[in-house]
Amino acid sequence: MGNVQILLRQHVGAPCQAIVKAGDEVKKGTKIAVPAGLGANIFSSVYGVVEEVLEDRIVIRPDEEQKDEFVPIEAADENDKLALVKEAGIVGMGGAGFPTGVKLGINLAETEMAELDPEINPELPADFKLEHSYILINAAECEPGLEHNIRQIEEQCDKVVRGVKYCMEITHADKAIFAVKKKNEKAVGILRKAIADEADITIHLLPDIYPMGEERAVVRECLGVNLTTMQLPSAARSVVVNLETAAKVAEAVDEKKPCITKNLTVRGKINGGNAAHVFMDVPVGVSVGELIERAGGIDGEYGEIIMGGAFTGKSTELDEPITKTTGGILVTIDFPDLHGADVGLLVCACGGSEERMREIAEKMNGKVVSVCRCKQAIENKPGAPLKCLRPGNCPGQVKNNMQFKKDKCEYIIIGNCSDCSNTVMASGPKMGLKVFHQTDHVMRTVGHALYRTLRVSKQVDQLPNGK
Amino acid sequence: MSITAETAKAHAHDPAVLCCRAEGGITIEPANLEDPAIFDDLVDSGLLNLDGCLTIEEVLGAKLTKTCDSLCPLTADVVEGAKAPSAPAVEEAVEEAAPAPEAVPAAPAAAPMAGGVLKIHIGEGKDIDLEIPVGALGGGSAAAAAPAGAVPAVAAGVAAPAAEQEPKLVRSLTRKHFNITEVKRGPETKIEGTTLYIREGIEKECIDSQKLVYDLKIDIITPEQYHTYSETIMDVQPIATKEGEDELGSGVTRVLDGVVMMVTGTDANGVQIGEFGSSEGYLDENIMWGRPGAPEKGEIFIKTQVTVKEGTNMERPGPLAAHTASDLITQEIRECLKKLDESLVVDTEQFDQYRRPGKKKVVIVKEIMGQGAMHDNLILPVEPVGILGGKPNVDLGNVPVAVSPLEVLDGCIHALTCIGPASKEMSRHYWREPLVLEALHDEEIDLCGVIFVGSPQINAEKFYVSRRVGQICEMLDVDGAFVTTEGFGNNHIDFASHHEQIGMRGIPVVGMSFCAVQGALVVGNKYMTHMVDNNKSESGIENEVLACNTLCPEDAVRALQMLKNAMGGEDVKAAEKKWNPNVKTSNVEAIESVTGKGLKLVENEQSLPMSQKRKEKYD
Repeated sequence: MGNVQILLRQHVGAPCQAIVKAGDEVKKGTKIAVPAGLGANIFSSVYGVVEEVLEDRIVIRPDEEQKDEFVPIEAADENDKLALVKEAGIVGMGGAGFPTGVKLGINLAETEMAELDPEINPELPADFKLEHSYILINAAECEPGLEHNIRQIEEQCDKVVRGVKYCMEITHADKAIFAVKKKNEKAVGILRKAIADEADITIHLLPDIYPMGEERAVVRECLGVNLTTMQLPSAARSVVVNLETAAKVAEAVDEKKPCITKNLTVRGKINGGNAAHVFMDVPVGVSVGELIERAGGIDGEYGEIIMGGAFTGKSTELDEPITKTTGGILVTIDFPDLHGADVGLLVCACGGSEERMREIAEKMNGKVVSVCRCKQAIENKPGAPLKCLRPGNCPGQVKNNMQFKKDKCEYIIIGNCSDCSNTVMASGPKMGLKVFHQTDHVMRTVGHALYRTLRVSKQVDQLPNGK
Repeated sequence: MSITAETAKAHAHDPAVLCCRAEGGITIEPANLEDPAIFDDLVDSGLLNLDGCLTIEEVLGAKLTKTCDSLCPLTADVVEGAKAPSAPAVEEAVEEAAPAPEAVPAAPAAAPMAGGVLKIHIGEGKDIDLEIPVGALGGGSAAAAAPAGAVPAVAAGVAAPAAEQEPKLVRSLTRKHFNITEVKRGPETKIEGTTLYIREGIEKECIDSQKLVYDLKIDIITPEQYHTYSETIMDVQPIATKEGEDELGSGVTRVLDGVVMMVTGTDANGVQIGEFGSSEGYLDENIMWGRPGAPEKGEIFIKTQVTVKEGTNMERPGPLAAHTASDLITQEIRECLKKLDESLVVDTEQFDQYRRPGKKKVVIVKEIMGQGAMHDNLILPVEPVGILGGKPNVDLGNVPVAVSPLEVLDGCIHALTCIGPASKEMSRHYWREPLVLEALHDEEIDLCGVIFVGSPQINAEKFYVSRRVGQICEMLDVDGAFVTTEGFGNNHIDFASHHEQIGMRGIPVVGMSFCAVQGALVVGNKYMTHMVDNNKSESGIENEVLACNTLCPEDAVRALQMLKNAMGGEDVKAAEKKWNPNVKTSNVEAIESVTGKGLKLVENEQSLPMSQKRKEKYD
């Protein structure tokens, strides 16, 4: 096992402060960094010795032998579940990384329904109120090609359900809804059995389109309420948690276990084929290269390595470490070569940032001559990540295509969701624009259909009474 | 792009096309629909066929019966429960020929649909259609039975105040005309009968008076000499002076008929004092005769040809020196004019400025150039179009300056802006400003005054001055405003901002500018719904023919009618996507048929002998 690098920033908020120094011996579960502002505790994921404390990371040389035992977390009152979640350093494991102890620190029973924007909620009456409060479990596993979330339902369903119930208890939510794609039949079957006798827990089935796992999309799908880009789920009396996060809550409460491992999918141009390699409980801080080796190693030439999903992930290097929020490591086939052709970028909230799109254009040897933004991509604050006003529901794209045409683009690269990509395809090719999707090289690698014309319905039939 | 409920309402009668894929069974909302503003392009490029397409108001709230893809026009076979169109069938029949007050490309089309408007179709002659605010007819639908009687009511529509009040005379201005038939050089400057003598050797004094002026020549151009080469024409000015102690804008002004001052020039390197084009060449090929700012055919020109220090052609002091040096001659003539015997007056004109309480209060905002370089104007000199006492609007910070209509007509602007010659207003333009004259004489409106606002170079300053314009209009409590501009391009940014600042206060605005092809607006906002294009050129371009595309009486009449319509709540059709000269023609015809008065349109550059430059560059 190579050195473990534990980043001091693995969450939304400020970097943590290291509380160990070079030479210190650490165990699994030794607290090594604490928040300086918004953040969450960070623990060593291995037994070993601190080799270096750098500005952004702590480097630990692991011992040869790694025991399963860990140092349990401590709380003043060990029945205080919220305190245990905070102490365990849990953050949103779906990728966003918002500190879970902060997120769950809300009393939903006393949270009033916020005022809704009538423009995006035309079907709701002006005085619409939700009777109940909710924990919404994000099990959409929306990024194509990843499988570790669904695998966890299949293998650790009881733990997840326990975690959900703890979340309900902490937040005083009276209902919980699992949001999961209908296509995952096996997982849905297991989940149905697990919640059969849970009066307050139901399942909402999602269609197989991107994005369904966006926080506000989950709220909309489960509760029928459209939130503005500035509103949090609490505006709809709910908290959205990733299912892996819920499992981590159960571990913190039941086992006093700190958040030191991550489930993830390694996939792509790997020796032995492009099937998904799901690794459960990987110590945080292990390098990308080590995990790829565990999966079989890179198969020859490759395009890039992505940390995260095809839509929202970023390119990474072999020696970079995984964090509490890493969900995927994708090794892609080589990029097509556009030979310097003029390229337009359609940037939206659901895919890569403009910076990421430009990186892809460069890797494809295209010259970016035009950049448009999806009309629904809202920048809440200058420089803040874009958020989609109505995730998964297209606002029309033909105007952008006309702009690309005007700017004499030969190719366009889009980062849109299923619905918007479909709209781009309705006019782009007819106008003579050759369309690439930001995820094409990943989709080709993993054998997933390319994001172009939409062929599935956005509507799916629900289970009777959500059970 | 999908549209909002507000846009859907504005486009209720436009075709309904899905912006994105929508699944069968959904209820159609504005968010499902594409913005009709872009349909023309899509139809042109064959991406869209609107045959049989239902309108937006028909499909909203209806059910889509099958899954359709993006850009699918919604037709009856895929929609269930479509509403009946709200407008009566007869409207469908006339809408295409409705008077379409013209507009310019790129002006966003956000005019709300007409509400409570009676549309009348007169199926005779040229197939004329009228839109009349129902209220103006004094009795809702009953009036529909008497369309014949409604015709004269159009003009009266706006001006139907509750109580008729007496107009108040504010002040008067008298112009006494003296005729000049011959201009000669002589030992002293004087006027004898109808002969004007200009002192020999005055040129040296002109040159010596200005450090930047290297040379000044005087040419007397008689009609026989119109085919003379000239450097670019920097200004055309009336020769006029105040009588006694009278102040500019009131009292008596004396003016010479049959002769004008003309300032021309280059810098010492021979570079024309111009920015976007210049009008150098044979005078008879480069002057659009009879424009308010241009000479009349038959007039004698006292033409100065000024050479300014090299490189100062593009700096404020250079052109100003040329004007100041030339004004030395004019001033000597003015002194003689003051002393002329009353018996030589050939004509007397009186301009009365009335306020008309109870009528719709209207202000004219004239945007003048203030970017610096050669773009400047002297405001309110002591003598008509003089230099002395005038304040450069650039130095005033280009902030709005309020003047009376009579001050405008008495030469309160000495213009240093004749660059991009076809669309810039020369000093003489203000002396004969058609919009001011029309508005001043229109008894149906209450013209409260004229605001000059400079057009600064920097955007931040543009918005600074336009906010002041908005604030003044708010204070004035006007019912309507004109915004005019000269030139095109850079100044359109503040032109648009003036519309916004006035429009956002709920005041209807009519804009006037040269736009057509070359001057197409570069910016727009939702208040730019009423536009009159000052273009006269055949191809819609800045053709470098002096004053060709400036504001003329035919433009003023259209603008006035449009503002009356706007103040009466009448809708104006959105601009066509591309410049179409027929829009103007049909507007003129509509106005002629309503007022019963013919409107003779001015000629354009095609009436002039073809210059080599025009042949090569434009036509």
